[in-house]
Amino acid sequence: MDRNNIGKWFKSPGNMGQKYSLHALYFCTGCGIIEIPPTITTRWDAERFGVIPVATPRQANLFLITGYVSVKTLRYIIRSYEQMPEPKYTVGFGSCPINGGMYWDSYNTIKHLDKYIPVDGWIAGCMPRPEAVFVAVTHLWTLIDKGMATGYLKYREHYTKYRRNQEKVLGKLEWPPLFSIEEENEKSREKVAV
Amino acid sequence: MQYELRSMFEGISTEGDGETRVTVKCRKETVITMLSFLKKTGFDHLALISCVDRINNNELELVYILSSYGGDAAMQKLNILVKTRIPRENPQFYTATEIFRNASPYERELHELFGIFFRGHPGLTPLFLEREYDIPPFRKDFDTRKYVKDVFDQIPFVDDKKGRT
Repeated sequence: MDRNNIGKWFKSPGNMGQKYSLHALYFCTGCGIIEIPPTITTRWDAERFGVIPVATPRQANLFLITGYVSVKTLRYIIRSYEQMPEPKYTVGFGSCPINGGMYWDSYNTIKHLDKYIPVDGWIAGCMPRPEAVFVAVTHLWTLIDKGMATGYLKYREHYTKYRRNQEKVLGKLEWPPLFSIEEENEKSREKVAV
Repeated sequence: MQYELRSMFEGISTEGDGETRVTVKCRKETVITMLSFLKKTGFDHLALISCVDRINNNELELVYILSSYGGDAAMQKLNILVKTRIPRENPQFYTATEIFRNASPYERELHELFGIFFRGHPGLTPLFLEREYDIPPFRKDFDTRKYVKDVFDQIPFVDDKKGRT
Protein backbone atom coordinates (compact mmCIF):
# COMPACT_ATOMS: atom_id res chain seq x y z
CA MET A 1 0.00 0.00 0.00
CA ASP A 2 1.18 3.48 -0.77
CA ARG A 3 2.24 5.24 2.41
CA ASN A 4 0.97 8.60 1.13
CA ASN A 5 -2.54 7.24 1.12
CA ILE A 6 -2.69 6.46 4.86
CA GLY A 7 -4.10 9.90 5.59
CA LYS A 8 -6.81 9.39 3.03
CA TRP A 9 -7.70 6.04 4.50
CA PHE A 10 -8.30 7.62 7.91
CA LYS A 11 -10.09 10.60 6.44
CA SER A 12 -12.61 8.81 4.24
CA PRO A 13 -12.36 5.03 4.47
CA GLY A 14 -15.55 4.57 2.50
CA ASN A 15 -14.27 6.42 -0.53
CA MET A 16 -10.98 4.56 -0.46
CA GLY A 17 -12.77 1.25 -0.24
CA GLN A 18 -14.95 2.08 -3.21
CA LYS A 19 -11.96 3.21 -5.22
CA TYR A 20 -10.15 -0.09 -5.07
CA SER A 21 -13.09 -2.44 -5.40
CA LEU A 22 -14.84 -1.45 -8.60
CA HIS A 23 -17.14 -4.28 -9.56
CA ALA A 24 -17.75 -3.71 -13.21
CA LEU A 25 -20.83 -4.56 -15.20
CA TYR A 26 -20.06 -4.63 -18.91
CA PHE A 27 -23.11 -3.91 -20.98
CA CYS A 28 -22.33 -5.57 -24.29
CA THR A 29 -24.24 -3.30 -26.60
CA GLY A 30 -21.98 -2.98 -29.59
CA CYS A 31 -18.54 -3.57 -30.99
CA GLY A 32 -16.85 -2.20 -27.86
CA ILE A 33 -17.27 -5.47 -26.05
CA ILE A 34 -14.51 -6.93 -28.20
CA GLU A 35 -12.01 -4.89 -26.18
CA ILE A 36 -13.25 -6.21 -22.85
CA PRO A 37 -12.01 -9.85 -22.84
CA PRO A 38 -8.33 -8.82 -23.23
CA THR A 39 -8.91 -6.11 -20.63
CA ILE A 40 -10.13 -8.43 -17.93
CA THR A 41 -7.92 -11.42 -18.73
CA THR A 42 -4.17 -11.93 -18.47
CA ARG A 43 -3.00 -9.61 -21.24
CA TRP A 44 -4.07 -6.38 -19.53
CA ASP A 45 -5.42 -7.84 -16.25
CA ALA A 46 -7.91 -5.31 -14.95
CA GLU A 47 -7.75 -6.82 -11.47
CA ARG A 48 -4.46 -4.94 -10.90
CA PHE A 49 -6.67 -1.87 -10.67
CA GLY A 50 -9.28 -3.58 -8.53
CA VAL A 51 -11.73 -3.88 -11.43
CA ILE A 52 -13.45 -7.23 -11.54
CA PRO A 53 -16.36 -8.26 -13.77
CA VAL A 54 -19.52 -9.43 -12.07
CA ALA A 55 -22.52 -11.31 -13.32
CA THR A 56 -25.50 -9.25 -12.29
CA PRO A 57 -26.23 -5.53 -11.87
CA ARG A 58 -27.10 -5.99 -8.21
CA GLN A 59 -23.45 -6.78 -7.44
CA ALA A 60 -21.92 -4.04 -9.53
CA ASN A 61 -20.99 -0.44 -8.96
CA LEU A 62 -19.20 0.43 -12.20
CA PHE A 63 -21.32 0.41 -15.33
CA LEU A 64 -19.39 0.31 -18.61
CA ILE A 65 -21.50 0.91 -21.69
CA THR A 66 -19.49 -0.37 -24.61
CA GLY A 67 -20.80 0.72 -27.94
CA TYR A 68 -23.83 2.23 -29.58
CA VAL A 69 -27.15 2.30 -27.72
CA SER A 70 -30.22 1.45 -29.74
CA VAL A 71 -33.70 2.20 -28.49
CA LYS A 72 -34.25 -1.39 -27.48
CA THR A 73 -31.05 -1.65 -25.44
CA LEU A 74 -31.72 1.69 -23.76
CA ARG A 75 -34.66 0.08 -21.98
CA TYR A 76 -32.41 -2.60 -20.47
CA ILE A 77 -29.63 -0.15 -19.73
CA ILE A 78 -32.04 1.89 -17.61
CA ARG A 79 -33.35 -1.21 -15.87
CA SER A 80 -29.82 -2.43 -15.10
CA TYR A 81 -28.77 1.00 -13.92
CA GLU A 82 -31.71 1.30 -11.54
CA GLN A 83 -30.98 -2.14 -10.08
CA MET A 84 -27.39 -1.30 -9.16
CA PRO A 85 -26.80 -0.40 -5.52
CA GLU A 86 -25.46 3.06 -4.70
CA PRO A 87 -22.84 4.42 -5.02
CA LYS A 88 -22.65 3.64 -8.71
CA TYR A 89 -20.52 5.06 -11.49
CA THR A 90 -21.20 5.01 -15.22
CA VAL A 91 -18.57 5.23 -17.93
CA GLY A 92 -19.44 5.52 -21.59
CA PHE A 93 -16.95 3.60 -23.71
CA GLY A 94 -16.35 4.65 -27.29
CA SER A 95 -17.67 7.58 -29.25
CA CYS A 96 -21.16 6.20 -29.91
CA PRO A 97 -22.67 6.81 -26.44
CA ILE A 98 -21.13 10.30 -26.41
CA ASN A 99 -22.79 11.82 -29.46
CA GLY A 100 -23.85 9.00 -31.70
CA GLY A 101 -20.49 8.44 -33.38
CA MET A 102 -20.87 6.89 -36.79
CA TYR A 103 -24.57 6.35 -36.04
CA TRP A 104 -25.23 10.07 -35.70
CA ASP A 105 -28.07 10.08 -38.24
CA SER A 106 -29.39 6.61 -37.57
CA TYR A 107 -33.11 6.15 -37.07
CA ASN A 108 -32.90 3.73 -34.17
CA THR A 109 -29.92 4.68 -31.98
CA ILE A 110 -30.12 7.30 -29.27
CA LYS A 111 -27.42 9.90 -29.68
CA HIS A 112 -26.55 11.25 -26.23
CA LEU A 113 -26.58 8.72 -23.42
CA ASP A 114 -26.38 11.38 -20.70
CA LYS A 115 -29.86 12.55 -21.56
CA TYR A 116 -31.24 9.33 -20.11
CA ILE A 117 -28.89 8.23 -17.34
CA PRO A 118 -26.11 10.22 -15.65
CA VAL A 119 -22.62 9.43 -16.94
CA ASP A 120 -19.53 10.12 -14.80
CA GLY A 121 -16.89 9.76 -17.47
CA TRP A 122 -16.35 9.20 -21.14
CA ILE A 123 -13.70 7.25 -22.99
CA ALA A 124 -13.45 8.75 -26.45
CA GLY A 125 -12.29 6.84 -29.48
CA CYS A 126 -13.49 4.34 -31.99
CA MET A 127 -12.39 1.91 -30.63
CA PRO A 128 -10.51 2.88 -27.46
CA ARG A 129 -7.57 0.68 -26.55
CA PRO A 130 -7.77 -1.43 -23.37
CA GLU A 131 -5.27 0.96 -21.80
CA ALA A 132 -7.92 3.66 -22.10
CA VAL A 133 -10.08 1.71 -19.68
CA PHE A 134 -7.31 1.99 -17.09
CA VAL A 135 -6.87 5.68 -17.78
CA ALA A 136 -10.57 6.05 -17.15
CA VAL A 137 -10.38 3.98 -13.97
CA THR A 138 -7.50 5.99 -12.54
CA HIS A 139 -9.31 9.17 -13.50
CA LEU A 140 -12.40 7.86 -11.75
CA TRP A 141 -10.26 7.37 -8.63
CA THR A 142 -9.37 11.03 -8.55
CA LEU A 143 -13.00 11.95 -9.13
CA ILE A 144 -14.06 9.77 -6.20
CA ASP A 145 -11.32 11.32 -4.05
CA LYS A 146 -12.52 14.81 -4.83
CA GLY A 147 -16.17 13.84 -4.46
CA MET A 148 -16.98 14.69 -8.06
CA ALA A 149 -18.29 11.32 -9.22
CA THR A 150 -21.81 12.10 -8.11
CA GLY A 151 -23.84 10.80 -11.02
CA TYR A 152 -26.07 8.73 -8.79
CA LEU A 153 -26.89 11.76 -6.62
CA LYS A 154 -27.73 13.70 -9.77
CA TYR A 155 -30.02 10.89 -10.79
CA ARG A 156 -31.89 11.22 -7.48
CA GLU A 157 -32.03 14.97 -7.74
CA HIS A 158 -33.20 15.27 -11.36
CA TYR A 159 -35.11 12.00 -11.53
CA THR A 160 -38.21 13.68 -12.93
CA LYS A 161 -36.31 15.09 -15.89
CA TYR A 162 -34.54 11.79 -16.58
CA ARG A 163 -37.77 9.84 -16.39
CA ARG A 164 -39.48 12.30 -18.71
CA ASN A 165 -36.66 11.97 -21.24
CA GLN A 166 -36.82 8.18 -21.03
CA GLU A 167 -40.54 8.19 -21.63
CA LYS A 168 -40.13 10.46 -24.63
CA VAL A 169 -38.09 7.80 -26.39
CA LEU A 170 -39.49 4.55 -25.03
CA GLY A 171 -43.11 5.44 -24.58
CA LYS A 172 -44.78 4.32 -21.39
CA LEU A 173 -42.34 2.51 -19.11
CA GLU A 174 -43.64 -0.69 -17.57
CA TRP A 175 -41.76 -0.43 -14.27
CA PRO A 176 -42.65 1.96 -11.45
CA PRO A 177 -40.48 5.03 -10.86
CA LEU A 178 -37.45 4.48 -8.63
CA PHE A 179 -37.74 7.79 -6.81
CA SER A 180 -40.62 10.18 -6.37
CA ILE A 181 -41.65 12.20 -9.39
CA GLU A 182 -42.67 15.83 -9.09
CA GLU A 183 -45.96 16.06 -10.89
CA GLU A 184 -46.55 19.64 -9.78
CA ASN A 185 -44.07 20.96 -12.30
CA GLU A 186 -46.21 19.87 -15.21
CA LYS A 187 -49.34 21.34 -13.68
CA SER A 188 -47.66 24.65 -12.99
CA ARG A 189 -46.29 24.67 -16.54
CA GLU A 190 -49.76 24.08 -17.91
CA LYS A 191 -51.04 26.97 -15.86
CA VAL A 192 -48.35 29.22 -17.27
CA ALA A 193 -49.19 28.07 -20.76
CA VAL A 194 -52.88 28.74 -20.26
CA MET B 1 -29.88 -25.80 -64.98
CA GLN B 2 -30.69 -22.51 -66.67
CA TYR B 3 -32.05 -24.23 -69.75
CA GLU B 4 -34.19 -26.50 -67.59
CA LEU B 5 -35.66 -23.57 -65.69
CA ARG B 6 -36.34 -21.56 -68.84
CA SER B 7 -38.13 -24.48 -70.41
CA MET B 8 -40.30 -25.15 -67.37
CA PHE B 9 -41.37 -21.64 -66.43
CA GLU B 10 -42.86 -18.99 -68.61
CA GLY B 11 -41.63 -15.42 -68.78
CA ILE B 12 -38.39 -15.77 -66.85
CA SER B 13 -34.90 -14.67 -67.75
CA THR B 14 -31.73 -16.18 -66.35
CA GLU B 15 -28.20 -14.94 -66.31
CA GLY B 16 -24.94 -15.93 -64.65
CA ASP B 17 -22.02 -18.23 -65.31
CA GLY B 18 -23.84 -21.36 -64.18
CA GLU B 19 -21.00 -22.47 -61.88
CA THR B 20 -21.23 -20.21 -58.86
CA ARG B 21 -24.25 -18.01 -59.36
CA VAL B 22 -27.44 -18.03 -61.38
CA THR B 23 -29.82 -15.07 -61.27
CA VAL B 24 -33.41 -15.81 -62.15
CA LYS B 25 -35.71 -12.88 -62.80
CA CYS B 26 -39.36 -13.83 -62.84
CA ARG B 27 -42.85 -12.46 -62.42
CA LYS B 28 -44.34 -12.41 -58.98
CA GLU B 29 -46.85 -15.16 -59.74
CA THR B 30 -44.12 -17.70 -60.50
CA VAL B 31 -41.98 -17.18 -57.39
CA ILE B 32 -43.66 -19.61 -55.02
CA THR B 33 -43.82 -22.37 -57.64
CA MET B 34 -40.20 -21.69 -58.51
CA LEU B 35 -39.10 -21.93 -54.88
CA SER B 36 -40.89 -25.23 -54.28
CA PHE B 37 -39.49 -26.63 -57.54
CA LEU B 38 -35.96 -25.58 -56.59
CA LYS B 39 -36.34 -27.11 -53.16
CA LYS B 40 -37.32 -30.44 -54.70
CA THR B 41 -34.40 -30.18 -57.12
CA GLY B 42 -31.96 -30.00 -54.20
CA PHE B 43 -31.60 -26.35 -53.24
CA ASP B 44 -32.85 -26.99 -49.75
CA HIS B 45 -31.39 -24.00 -47.93
CA LEU B 46 -32.89 -20.51 -48.01
CA ALA B 47 -29.95 -18.31 -47.07
CA LEU B 48 -31.64 -14.93 -47.11
CA ILE B 49 -34.63 -12.97 -48.30
CA SER B 50 -33.50 -9.48 -49.16
CA CYS B 51 -35.21 -6.44 -50.55
CA VAL B 52 -34.09 -3.54 -52.74
CA ASP B 53 -36.05 -0.33 -53.00
CA ARG B 54 -36.16 0.65 -56.70
CA ILE B 55 -37.62 4.04 -56.08
CA ASN B 56 -37.13 5.28 -59.67
CA ASN B 57 -39.24 2.46 -61.09
CA ASN B 58 -41.68 2.68 -58.15
CA GLU B 59 -41.06 -0.96 -57.34
CA LEU B 60 -39.65 -3.13 -54.58
CA GLU B 61 -37.35 -5.96 -55.60
CA LEU B 62 -37.38 -9.14 -53.53
CA VAL B 63 -34.35 -11.41 -53.69
CA TYR B 64 -34.46 -15.01 -52.49
CA ILE B 65 -30.98 -16.51 -52.14
CA LEU B 66 -30.89 -20.31 -52.24
CA SER B 67 -28.03 -22.71 -51.80
CA SER B 68 -27.67 -26.45 -51.50
CA TYR B 69 -26.43 -28.77 -48.80
CA GLY B 70 -27.70 -32.09 -50.06
CA GLY B 71 -26.80 -31.99 -53.75
CA ASP B 72 -23.70 -33.11 -55.57
CA ALA B 73 -20.44 -31.13 -55.70
CA ALA B 74 -21.43 -28.97 -58.66
CA MET B 75 -24.71 -28.08 -56.99
CA GLN B 76 -23.08 -27.16 -53.70
CA LYS B 77 -20.99 -24.51 -55.43
CA LEU B 78 -24.05 -22.89 -56.94
CA ASN B 79 -26.15 -20.08 -55.46
CA ILE B 80 -29.48 -19.26 -57.02
CA LEU B 81 -30.91 -15.75 -56.72
CA VAL B 82 -34.61 -15.57 -57.45
CA LYS B 83 -35.58 -11.95 -58.09
CA THR B 84 -39.01 -10.49 -58.48
CA ARG B 85 -40.58 -7.05 -58.37
CA ILE B 86 -43.73 -5.93 -56.60
CA PRO B 87 -45.40 -2.51 -56.66
CA ARG B 88 -44.28 -0.01 -54.08
CA GLU B 89 -47.66 1.29 -52.93
CA ASN B 90 -49.38 -1.05 -50.47
CA PRO B 91 -46.95 -3.92 -51.16
CA GLN B 92 -48.24 -7.43 -50.61
CA PHE B 93 -46.72 -10.78 -51.32
CA TYR B 94 -47.25 -14.44 -50.53
CA THR B 95 -45.31 -15.99 -47.70
CA ALA B 96 -42.61 -18.59 -48.27
CA THR B 97 -42.88 -20.09 -44.80
CA GLU B 98 -44.83 -23.08 -46.14
CA ILE B 99 -41.81 -24.09 -48.21
CA PHE B 100 -38.91 -22.87 -46.09
CA ARG B 101 -39.70 -22.57 -42.40
CA ASN B 102 -36.71 -20.31 -41.77
CA ALA B 103 -38.26 -17.66 -44.01
CA SER B 104 -40.34 -16.48 -41.05
CA PRO B 105 -37.83 -14.09 -39.37
CA TYR B 106 -36.73 -12.68 -42.74
CA GLU B 107 -40.29 -11.87 -43.64
CA ARG B 108 -40.95 -10.29 -40.27
CA GLU B 109 -37.86 -8.15 -40.81
CA LEU B 110 -39.01 -7.05 -44.27
CA HIS B 111 -42.45 -6.39 -42.88
CA GLU B 112 -41.24 -3.85 -40.37
CA LEU B 113 -38.34 -2.33 -42.32
CA PHE B 114 -39.97 -2.12 -45.78
CA GLY B 115 -43.64 -2.41 -44.95
CA ILE B 116 -44.29 -5.47 -47.08
CA PHE B 117 -47.29 -7.49 -45.93
CA PHE B 118 -46.75 -11.23 -46.35
CA ARG B 119 -50.07 -12.96 -46.81
CA GLY B 120 -50.41 -16.22 -44.87
CA HIS B 121 -47.53 -15.59 -42.48
CA PRO B 122 -48.29 -17.10 -39.03
CA GLY B 123 -47.23 -14.08 -36.98
CA LEU B 124 -46.13 -10.77 -38.45
CA THR B 125 -45.17 -9.17 -35.13
CA PRO B 126 -42.43 -6.54 -34.76
CA LEU B 127 -38.97 -8.02 -34.58
CA PHE B 128 -36.39 -5.28 -33.97
CA LEU B 129 -37.99 -1.89 -33.72
CA GLU B 130 -39.50 -0.33 -30.61
CA ARG B 131 -40.76 2.93 -32.03
CA GLU B 132 -43.36 3.42 -34.71
CA TYR B 133 -42.47 5.19 -37.94
CA ASP B 134 -44.63 6.92 -40.52
CA ILE B 135 -42.64 5.49 -43.43
CA PRO B 136 -40.86 2.13 -42.93
CA PRO B 137 -37.29 3.21 -42.18
CA PHE B 138 -35.38 1.24 -44.82
CA ARG B 139 -37.20 2.80 -47.74
CA LYS B 140 -35.31 5.32 -49.80
CA ASP B 141 -37.71 8.19 -49.11
CA PHE B 142 -37.27 7.88 -45.32
CA ASP B 143 -35.21 10.91 -44.30
CA THR B 144 -33.10 9.72 -41.37
CA ARG B 145 -31.49 13.10 -40.75
CA LYS B 146 -34.84 14.83 -40.52
CA TYR B 147 -36.12 12.09 -38.24
CA VAL B 148 -33.13 12.49 -35.90
CA LYS B 149 -33.63 16.25 -35.83
CA ASP B 150 -37.32 15.87 -35.08
CA VAL B 151 -37.11 13.17 -32.43
CA PHE B 152 -33.74 12.67 -30.78
CA ASP B 153 -32.43 16.22 -30.96
CA GLN B 154 -35.62 17.56 -29.37
CA ILE B 155 -34.91 15.77 -26.09
CA PRO B 156 -33.27 18.24 -23.69
CA PHE B 157 -30.06 17.70 -21.73
CA VAL B 158 -30.60 17.23 -18.03
CA ASP B 159 -27.59 18.95 -16.50
CA ASP B 160 -27.43 22.70 -16.89
CA LYS B 161 -23.82 23.21 -15.78
CA LYS B 162 -22.31 23.19 -19.25
CA GLY B 163 -24.89 25.57 -20.58
CA ARG B 164 -26.47 23.03 -22.91
CA THR B 165 -30.02 22.73 -21.76
